[in-house]
Parts: sequence; structure tokens; C-alpha cells
Amino acid sequence: YCSTAVLIFRLLDFGLLRLTKRAMNISERDVGISFRSEEMTRIQMFLQNDSAYACVSEFGELGLVQFSDLNENVNEFQRKYINEVRRCDEMERKLRYIEKECRKCINQSPPDSGENPETPMPSEMFNLELTFEKLENELKEVNSNKETLMKNKLELTELKHILRKTQTFFDEAQLTLGQTSRSEESMSTSLLSAEAPIGSSSGDSQQSPKFGFIAGVIARERVPSFERMLWRACRGNVFLRQTEIETPLEDPVTGEEVSKCVFIIFFQGEQLKTKVRKICEGYKATMYPCPESQAERREMSMGVMTRIEDIQTVLSQTAEHQTRLLSNAARSIRVWFRKVKKIKAVYHTLNLCNTQKAIIAEGWCPSSELDRVNLAARRGTERSGTDIPAIINTMATRRTPPTYHRTNKFTNGFQAIVDAYGVADYREINPAPFTLITFPFLFAVMFGDCGHGSIMFLFALWMVINEKKFLAEKSTNEMWLMLFGGRYIILLMGLFSVYTGLLYNDCFSKSLNIFGSSWSLAETREKMNVTMETLRTTSTIQLNPAVTFQTGSPYPIGIDPIWNISKNQIVFLNSYKMKLSIILGVAQM
Amino acid sequence: MGGGMSGPSFNIDNGYLEGLIRGFKNGILTRNDYLNLVQCETLEDLKVHLQSTDYGSFLANEPGPLSVSVIDDKLRNKLVLEFQHIRNQSVEPLSTFLDYITYSYMIDNIVLLITGTLHQRSISELAAKCHPLGIFEQMEAIGAVSTPAELYNTIIVDTPLAPFFLDCIFVQDLDEMNIEIIRNTLYKNYLEEFHNFCQQIGGITADVMCEILAFEADRRAIIITINSFGTELTKDDRSKLYPCCGKLHPEGLSALARSDDYDQVRAVADYYAEYKVLFEGAGNNPGDKTLEDKLFEHEVKLNVFSFLQQFHFGVFYSFIKLKEQEIRNIIWISECVAQRHRTKIDNYIPIF
Repeated sequence: YCSTAVLIFRLLDFGLLRLTKRAMNISERDVGISFRSEEMTRIQMFLQNDSAYACVSEFGELGLVQFSDLNENVNEFQRKYINEVRRCDEMERKLRYIEKECRKCINQSPPDSGENPETPMPSEMFNLELTFEKLENELKEVNSNKETLMKNKLELTELKHILRKTQTFFDEAQLTLGQTSRSEESMSTSLLSAEAPIGSSSGDSQQSPKFGFIAGVIARERVPSFERMLWRACRGNVFLRQTEIETPLEDPVTGEEVSKCVFIIFFQGEQLKTKVRKICEGYKATMYPCPESQAERREMSMGVMTRIEDIQTVLSQTAEHQTRLLSNAARSIRVWFRKVKKIKAVYHTLNLCNTQKAIIAEGWCPSSELDRVNLAARRGTERSGTDIPAIINTMATRRTPPTYHRTNKFTNGFQAIVDAYGVADYREINPAPFTLITFPFLFAVMFGDCGHGSIMFLFALWMVINEKKFLAEKSTNEMWLMLFGGRYIILLMGLFSVYTGLLYNDCFSKSLNIFGSSWSLAETREKMNVTMETLRTTSTIQLNPAVTFQTGSPYPIGIDPIWNISKNQIVFLNSYKMKLSIILGVAQM
Repeated sequence: MGGGMSGPSFNIDNGYLEGLIRGFKNGILTRNDYLNLVQCETLEDLKVHLQSTDYGSFLANEPGPLSVSVIDDKLRNKLVLEFQHIRNQSVEPLSTFLDYITYSYMIDNIVLLITGTLHQRSISELAAKCHPLGIFEQMEAIGAVSTPAELYNTIIVDTPLAPFFLDCIFVQDLDEMNIEIIRNTLYKNYLEEFHNFCQQIGGITADVMCEILAFEADRRAIIITINSFGTELTKDDRSKLYPCCGKLHPEGLSALARSDDYDQVRAVADYYAEYKVLFEGAGNNPGDKTLEDKLFEHEVKLNVFSFLQQFHFGVFYSFIKLKEQEIRNIIWISECVAQRHRTKIDNYIPIF
């Protein structure tokens, strides 16, 4: 059964080929697969300097001409239109900057309406440049304003935290003030002047040595190193207290959240002060003036709160302005990118041409499309408004033309697989039409599971039905793109696998017993001399086909389901499938 | 550490990284690329040509007119990125080996910061000029120290450079000449330590690295000697700065310690075949290569040879050095192009 089915398929295949070949002569353009590569003509185009740009852009939209590089010995940066290419590079840089800002601030990538704009003329290019520059400058200005505001806000927030936290340090000191005796040198004793005598042995209330302090904020991850450095540099003569700021603060430049700690360092003397200051600078700790008395601190605290609120309002306004700018830009950014890409492509192509007097370009185009190419050149001349038409000559040449296969979305995948092994020479037979059927079928012969095959088929069907949606998404995931690009191949593979799965009688690696097995031990037990005792005790029984097999009524379609419970299933089936695959494969050759 | 380093067992831990390094090495600019670069008229042309090399569009997002310092920064950033990726993926003993490579940059950074503080520059300005591969946490607190002993006790003691510094604590204070002495002493100790480490690893790494480090040691000895003619550096002090892990140790070094001028140095080098060749043809006439250039060429040659063997760590060291040479070449060409002074533009050292 397998073999007959395979024969039918081969006939279909061949018939398909005949049909396509006949259809080739009628209208080659509509059939999506080519038996041989198309005939190509070498053309030489004489373009006027004014209309060259428009003509090349029309050729670009047409997509049927391959330009040859007439300036092979010239360096990249010595070609004629290199300055325009540089201008395009500069425009792309500005667009990339704008896109990055869009993604950062409004948190979504710009929408793609799928619109395909026309190639802009050189005059329009200048306008585009101006627009981009203006937009970039505005964005830079808004960004720098926002950054300054955020920096201010950060400073004020840090100051607020300092005022609050140092309160605890000073409070502790106040608390222990009453408790500790004057001769004790407890670490939490107040170190501020006029508060209590420190470590003085006598009980008189003289002025304690004045301790200065520096308060500031430092990033949390630097604290251990900072402490150690202070200890070493000042030989243990300074005293550091620090607590964490619970909420992470936003860094103005990068926008990331950073955890910081408030610290306060007590020291005595001017030398230590300069040293401590230098170390703080080295560790990028920001220092803030902190008043000593509690009343002053409270006043400062209130002032800071009001200023924070003010800055917050200005900040939200700036953020709003920025969002507005960016959403406006985001709407047209994709179209702009496409326009700039098209301009750049036109100038790259113009760089390939010989530009000494008039612009002479040489290239290949399919012979059947010469009319369309001529039409495109005429459209280009009209668009640029000159009278002198572009002249297109066909040249006879000994060079081997390039291979051009026409494909549609169905045959594209197969052609790609064939091309991966090697592109066919000019006018050589294209293996791709054959592979439309043989590739998925050979896969199915090896796969042969109708359950898993149907899952493959349904998955591919889902991809094909939602084709448009997936194409519009323009995903960049490599794995997905590979699967999606091969959706038609997977569709056929799944379909044929269902067929071969039925023939192998393999569904999720189990056999289906639809028609009843033709091997029956129950009916032939006496003839086989097998008793119920034997059945109960032995684990395997070898069936004699002459006796147990009902000749005359073999299982109609596929392999008999009894093989699924036999011990030599794998040995038999593997040998069977392998031989079948090898015969088919070698026959291909 | 010696066992498990040869052949297939090398690949368990280091195969991916060696493959990566060899891939990077294939992207090093060739003679053809340099020939194209010297034809550039402006820095923009240079950028266009570099786009077709492994550097790709590394300058694509730079606004405004290009300057040589911007190009220098970006070139270095690419190297730093590649090195840090490799360092992040490495395990012992390769990670220690890579750390040893960074110590030389740390030494340079420390000396830069001290010299800058001496000239009253601000720390943040100096920090921007430091080499990214040699940054360590306590670096910027150098502003707070004023004597080498303090420098050691507060900053160096926590860094991996601590064991190299022990000889320097006795220098009195930090002035211009003493800083150079500190730099060279640190470097001498670092080089000897690195040499010992490579020998401990053994195998092909030891063969390749010890040869390269020996040349580095000898080269420093020669350059220190030549540069010290006419300065206040005494011969004793000078001989203390010579690294002892090279071929010149011990007879060559003692002969160098006694020499007084260039010709005597040359006479010492004549006893060693490889160095004799370097001194021939080196001179200060126009059209001659200078001695430094010849020493660079020899270094490039040794580094290129290290890629001929497989399963050793020398390729990582050689890659960094070759990339640095490439950056020096590109910057030399850029400077000539930017200043339109093209007479000496061909003085770069081609690598492949």
C-alpha cells in the first residue's frame, strides 16, 4: 500500500511539473515556481544627471534590476556620492537617538503602520534633515532641563533624609546623655559641644573639645570600603554612623534606582576634616550642610519639603512636554526610517555607476520585464521634470548572467532550502519545483506518526492563517522567524505525515485498531496447540502465520495493529521503514 | 594547577573563551586595511573605512565633527568590553591570569592620579582619564594621601597590588622623580610575580608567556638605562629597577647597571642574539626606525607567534597587546590625517 501510494504521488509530482511547464509558456509571471532560471539581458542605461536619482528610485521600487559595480577599483570614500551617503548616516543617527528616547520615556516602541512611502526627492531630503535636527535639539534641551531638575530634586530628597536621620543620631546622643556617667566613654555619648563633657575625668562642666561633623549621602555598595578607608586614613580617630535610606532614589542621568545611605562623621581638628573631605570626594559621596540644633533642622526640613513639591510640579510639566514631543515623533518615525533608507539605497546604487560625463549604469534584468523597466525609466524622467529621456540599451555579452528564480510566498521556503545547498547556474534546471512534494514526503516517510503529524499540521495551519498578523509584527526572535519562514513546509510535512502515519498505523506511537486485526489467537488456539495454562504462564508466544493469520482478509489500510504488542515490533518496523526510505532516497538520485 | 591544562581538558573550562579570542584575533586589521586607512583625507573617511572592519559602526552614534580623542575613546571601549566579557566568563586559573593583565593598568592609573594630584588637578577630571581596565574602588581617594607610606596603608593595602608595593614604602615623599621610581618598582615586582605565576601554571602557557615576559623585562631594563642617562638617577637606584625575569639576568643586568652611554648598552645587547638584531638598523636618522619601534616590532612578532599554539593562556595576553598596538597604529594614522602631516604616516607597525 505504501508503495502504491508513493507511486501515485510521484505521478502527481510529474504531472504537476508538466502543468507548470505548460503554464510557463503562457504567463511566466504568475506561476510561483520556475523550472529554469529566467533569461536575463544585460542592459546599459544612460541617465541624465538630473533624472538619474528619480530613475534609480523607480528601478528600486520595481525591484527587477541588478546593478553591476562599475567602480570596483575606487575606494568606498572616494566615490562621487559619498557625501550624500554621509548625510543619510547622520540622519539615521538622529533618528536612532529619537527612537531611543521614545523607548526610554514613553516605554513603548514606535508603532508601525506598515506604510510604504515613496522615495523622497533630493529637495525633500533637505527638509527632512532640518526636521530631524530641530527635533533632536528640542529633545536634547528637554532632556538637559529634566536632568537638572531631577538632580535638584535628588539633592533636596537626600537633604530631607539627612535631616530626618541625623535626628536619630542626635536623639540617641541626647538620650544617653542623662544615663551615662561623666567618666564613661561610651560611643553613643553626644559628641557635640556644650551638651556634655566627654570622657573627662573630673566632674566640672567645662567646655568639651569641639567635635566637627560632616553629614552626607553615599551609595550603599560603597559603604564598607568607605568605612575601611576612613579607619585607615584617620587611624581610627573618626567616628562614623550610617543608616540606610529605605526607598531607592532615582539617578538623574541614567534613570536607574540607586540605594543610598545617610552617614555622619564626627572628627576633631582641621587636618582630619580635610582628609575626611577628600575621602568623601573620592567615594563620590555628596556632602550637605546640616545644622546642629533641632529647631534649625526642623525649619530646614519644612523648607526642603516645600521646595521638593515645587520642583515636582515643574518636573511633571517638563515630563509632559517631553512625552508630547516624543509621541508626535513616534507616529512618523517608522516612515522616516524607511524614507532615509530609500534615499541611502539610491545613493549607494548611484555610487556603483560610472559618473564621468553622464551617468552610465550597467546591470541585468529579466528579458521578459524589459518593458516594465523601460516604463519605470520613463516614469523617473517624468518625475524629475526633464525632457531628455533615459536611454536603455540591451548589450550582448559573454558574461554569465545571474540566476533569477521567481517565487511566491509558498515556494519561497523551498527555494531557500535548495539555494542553501548551492544556487543553480544560469538556465540550469531548478531543483526547487521537485522538492515541493518530495521534501515533505521524504520527511513524512521517516516521521510516520499521524497523531504528532496532525499536531504539526495544525500548528502550521495556525501560522498560515495568522500570516498577516505575524508579518506585521516584524519580530526579531531568530527561532520564531525560522519556524514562521518555513510555515508552508511544515504544513505539507504535517499533512503527509498524517498520511504515512496512517499507513504505518502509528498514532502517538501506538497503533489504532479500527478494522480488527487479521491475526487471531483466540480462534486458532487449538490449531496452535496452546492451552489456557500456557497462556497464563508464558510471557510470549510465537504466532505461526500459517495458522493464526486469516488469509484472505488482511488489515485493509496500514500495518496490522497486532504489531504494536509484539516483541519484535521495533526490529521489524525499523528495518521496514529504513529500507523504504533508502529506496526512495536513492531513487531520487 | 599544572595538570588538566593540556589538550582536551583545557577545553572544559576555557574552550569557549579561547574560541572567542581567536575569533576576535581574526578581526585585527590587516596590512590591506592599513593601506586603505593611510589613503584617507579626513577623519570621516577613516570612519567610513573602519565601518567595513570588525569595528563596525562603533562611531555611528557620535554627533558632530569627529576628533582623534573621541576615536581613541571608542576604540578603547570596544577592547574593554571584549576583555570584560571574557573576564566575566572565566574561571580559575584563567581569571587570575586575566587579573594579572589588569594590574599593569592599575599601576598606570595610580601613577596618573598621584601625578595629577601633585599638579593640583581635580580628582574627577583625572578619574575620567584613567584606563577602564585598571579601575578599582579605592582609586579616587588618592587625593587624601601625601606620602607613600600613607598611600600604602590606606589605599594599596586592599588592592591586589599590595605585595608589589612593599619596596616602595621607604621612598620619602611623592615628587616627580620618586613617582617614576615608584612606578618602575611596582612594575618590576608585578612582572616578576606574573612570571612566577605563569611558571606555576606550567605547560604551554609557561613556555609562551615566560618568553614574552622575559622580553618585556629586558626591554624595560634597556629603556630605563637609556632614559636614565643625564638624569639624577644613580646607578644603584637604577639597577634596583631592573626586573629579574628576563634573559639579561644576571650578567646582562649587572653590565647594564655599569653602563654610561648608548654605545655601552649596545655592547651589552650584542651578547644576546635577538637583541643584537634589534640594535642594528636602529638610529635617530630620518628614514631609520627608532629603537622603540624595533622593540615594538619584536613584541608584536612574539605575540603573533603565541597564536600558533593551542590550549594555553598566552593567547589572551597576546590579544590584548596586539589590540593595543592596533589602537596605537590607528591613532597615529588619525593624528597624521587630522593634522595633514603625512610624511611619517607610514610609521605604524603592521601586525598581520
